[in-house]
Amino acid sequence: MRTLGKFGRYGGVYVPETLMPALEELEEAFATIVPGEEFKTRLASLLTDYAGRPTPLYHAENLSRKWGAQVFLKREDLLHGGAHKTNNALGQALLSKMMGKERIIAETGAGQHGVACAMSGALLGLKTEVYMGEVDMERQKPNVYRMQLLGTTVHPVKTGSRTLKDAINEALRDWIANLENTHYLLGTVAGPHPFPSMVKYFQKIIGEEASAQIQEKTARQPDYVVACVGGGSNAIGIFAEFIDKPSVQLVGVEPAGKGLDTDKHGAVLALGSFGCVHGMKSLVLQTKEGQIQEAHSISAGLDYPSVGPEHAFLKDTGRARYESATDEEALSAFHELCREEGIIPALESSHALFIGKRLAQGEAAGKSIVINLSGRGDKDLHEVMKHVK
Amino acid sequence: MLSRDRYAARFRRLKEAKQGALMPFTVLGWPDEETSFSIIKTMIDSGASALELGIAFSDPVADGPIIQAAAHKVIENGYTVIQALDLVAMARKYDADIPVGLLVYYNHIMAMGVEKFLEKASACGVDGVLVADLPAESSDEVLSTATAKGISTIFIVSPLTREERLAKIVEHASGFIYLVSRLGVTGVDERNADRDSRLAALIASIKKVTSLPVLAGFGISTPAHAEKMMAFGADGVITGSKIVDLVSKAEPSKMESELSSYLKQMVAALNSVKV
Ligand SMILES: Cc1ncc(COP(=O)(O)O)c(C=O)c1O
Repeated sequence: MRTLGKFGRYGGVYVPETLMPALEELEEAFATIVPGEEFKTRLASLLTDYAGRPTPLYHAENLSRKWGAQVFLKREDLLHGGAHKTNNALGQALLSKMMGKERIIAETGAGQHGVACAMSGALLGLKTEVYMGEVDMERQKPNVYRMQLLGTTVHPVKTGSRTLKDAINEALRDWIANLENTHYLLGTVAGPHPFPSMVKYFQKIIGEEASAQIQEKTARQPDYVVACVGGGSNAIGIFAEFIDKPSVQLVGVEPAGKGLDTDKHGAVLALGSFGCVHGMKSLVLQTKEGQIQEAHSISAGLDYPSVGPEHAFLKDTGRARYESATDEEALSAFHELCREEGIIPALESSHALFIGKRLAQGEAAGKSIVINLSGRGDKDLHEVMKHVK
Repeated sequence: MLSRDRYAARFRRLKEAKQGALMPFTVLGWPDEETSFSIIKTMIDSGASALELGIAFSDPVADGPIIQAAAHKVIENGYTVIQALDLVAMARKYDADIPVGLLVYYNHIMAMGVEKFLEKASACGVDGVLVADLPAESSDEVLSTATAKGISTIFIVSPLTREERLAKIVEHASGFIYLVSRLGVTGVDERNADRDSRLAALIASIKKVTSLPVLAGFGISTPAHAEKMMAFGADGVITGSKIVDLVSKAEPSKMESELSSYLKQMVAALNSVKV
């Protein structure tokens, strides 16, 4: 490999030898094809004409008035497919097409990444197969139907916690067996190098746009940027442009599930320990002897017992801080956005909204806060209605 | 005997006798400690040349459904990594000379600490470690400690490993080379004849750059597979999923005799081909 993709002590390449040829090939393609004019032109045109970029930065005046700060929503929910996942899926699908692959496989939790891959696969003529935990297939059923309508085969994963973690295991196993004609289109900034860097590259457009948009609207950069963290791709995507702007506070929001004092949460950055899973070193929810534990969140997309290595690094260096919101808190923010602004957010994004509100009502009173609205909530209606009394 | 010498001694003896090595695999503590120990003893008594023993991990990405299920059962039983290593010590007591390799995922080593893990492994009589998710480029994290403790570091070579990588791998490898003889994860599923035909060339290219024995594993479940690998130039075979599958399907009272008869057939096949 050209490098090992380390972020301090995190990241790296920790996979079976049988996968190394695929990672070497991918790293090479990322370094040579992606910077090329042909790739850049084709991706830019897809993002604009097919996916609908740039997405708006919306000044949420009702929330701003109610919460007492200037709240801006980066509207990734308006992107084709309904979440930021399309940025990465289109990028990697185009790359795999140009690498000569015939087939893409993916894991999905909330189903948004699966849908984004299914769309990209249909568009570019790539055979698409998605691994999804049985538990997630149940709670995100509309997305299973969407994938199927788009011509994708959805494989139910019945091992382990039957959620995102196990879907990643299955996708890795498929890739090991089929790496010659298959690209594994990983959906977040986790996994072995080059995925954390490559997915960041395809998602950083969120922050680039947001930075320019808020500059235009307010003639300055924001005081806070807030995003939810599952694997961490929408958060890294919006953080990237601001990392070198020290006046901007970066806040990631993890799922606290039923509470950090219970064993039902996914707050990896708050409570995880140093470990190695899914091809990377990062913080991990695990037992003392190193068995990976199950995470819990009301939102399938945040239900992951590890996190992208760059987030662990940003936490250690202090450049970003990480808060958490419980299932209940996310639900309350979900309803508030529906009622105040007429926008139905994804449950994942609702975690960021809740912490945005808490900041606005506390240390960030009167300041400007950009919240990444990473996706829309249509997929969550079934889950949310279970909680509406 | 210094633990790292057990591999060399055993492979030397096999070579002199013109026999192929049979290296059976099982998951430590599966399905329970007592049965696991009797599986190991049956392996030794039925002519195993060396053992490959796995520590159950919650997320074994290199393993197919059979070994995954075994690993999950062990974890469900609450069987710990320390208990697994202590079971290796029991095996070592039962046979002082048989080479024992440990198949482990890196997170277990990190959780205990490299130094402490390898110290414990060495004290339990482990001769080699194969860290399933630690490729050559990241292996300096364990190499020097393993060497200091006299533990061989076993690496995998796959049919897609290119020449530059092979050179890097053999530079770090000791004990033997684990040749993954078909793409994919562990399992008993069908072999691909087309791919098999390329294995002879691959084994020859490995032998050109190292004098370590080459053992073929993954998808090896019948005496015919074993014969084929020997004909391709391998020094022996590793068989795992088949064993776990056989034990899970056997009636408890007949398990040992069925396992023994399978292993003996494999040994016979390995000896029928001139090395
Ligand atoms: C709308 C939405 N937001 C966030 C996430 C979490 O992923 P990440 O942390 O990689 O952005 C998901 C994952 O499925 C999602 O669908």
